[in-house]
Amino acid sequence: MSKISTSTTLSATALALALGTALTLSAGMAVAQDADKEKCYGVALKGKNDCAAGPGTTCAGTAKVDHQGNAWKYVPKGSCEKTASSTSPTGFGQLAAFKEKKS
Amino acid sequence: MSDQRLFTAALLDPDAPCPTGLTTWNGSDLARRFAVYRNNVVVSLIDALADTFPVTLELVGDEFFRAMAGIFVRAAPPTSALLAEYGEGFPAFIERFEPARSVPYLADVARLELLRVRAFHAADAEPLTPEQVARALADPERLPALRATCHPSLGVLRSRYAVVSLWAAHQGIGDLARVDPFLPESALVVRGGLEVQVIALPPGGDVLIAGFANGLMLGDAAALAASAHADFDLTTPLALLLRHGALCSLN
Repeated sequence: MSKISTSTTLSATALALALGTALTLSAGMAVAQDADKEKCYGVALKGKNDCAAGPGTTCAGTAKVDHQGNAWKYVPKGSCEKTASSTSPTGFGQLAAFKEKKS
Repeated sequence: MSDQRLFTAALLDPDAPCPTGLTTWNGSDLARRFAVYRNNVVVSLIDALADTFPVTLELVGDEFFRAMAGIFVRAAPPTSALLAEYGEGFPAFIERFEPARSVPYLADVARLELLRVRAFHAADAEPLTPEQVARALADPERLPALRATCHPSLGVLRSRYAVVSLWAAHQGIGDLARVDPFLPESALVVRGGLEVQVIALPPGGDVLIAGFANGLMLGDAAALAASAHADFDLTTPLALLLRHGALCSLN
């Protein structure tokens, strides 16, 4: 066994044991699962093509109205209200409305 | 200001007048036509953010998210033509965004989602094979002095909040109501193959990986992690890294 110089250095034996166990635990590594897949180039995430041709790209009839003007009356009301919180006295259901911005 | 600068500035400012010098092919109302274009620019950028940050959106709801994203879009329009990279500054913006204060973990969830997009677009690299690991193990005396390189897609997020559990609950893994958002978690994001993985790291795992990424020798990185966390267990993070193809070489 190698001489361990300081207590902060991990011994080669400890490292080998950890890496050996890790190798066993990770048997059948993720790489193998990809063997039957082929890489498809040019596939972008939805909406992430260079132009992001979204709704309403061409005419007013299909354009989504941008609610900027009255958006300020909204408060977070997604799943955060369903998220448990042991430290919050009110939970997330009682969120203060924020001030309406002058446009 | 040049005509072009005026035009772009007017696109992002709903109160700005319609730029001069424009014409319509059929003589229709210029201001209205420009308003359509202005709207589309902002809406498409908000849509891009909604695609990049789906869990962030779910946490606060569509209306709130779009209002918040709209302010960000106008303040920080894209600087690159690659929309995939748009939103880099969004988490920091969320952190400073007063109305989102009541959801303190929102910015970190957004950071996690940004890491996922980065991992998705990162370069491919061949992960370490079991044979390579076995070869390294055959000479244990040399192990502490070896260096590991991380996969180009690898990202780590250390959070004061339960980012991984929150994110996972929105993928249908686990029950959101049972997640305590205030339990700190560290996330490992990596794409060993084609799928981006989000994995909760055990205590000290983030320190170990940071050590690898900074070019520390195996022994030193492990010692650093052990000194950062008294109950650090080297096996678990190593197994996670190997299983998800997060390491590419060991030399």
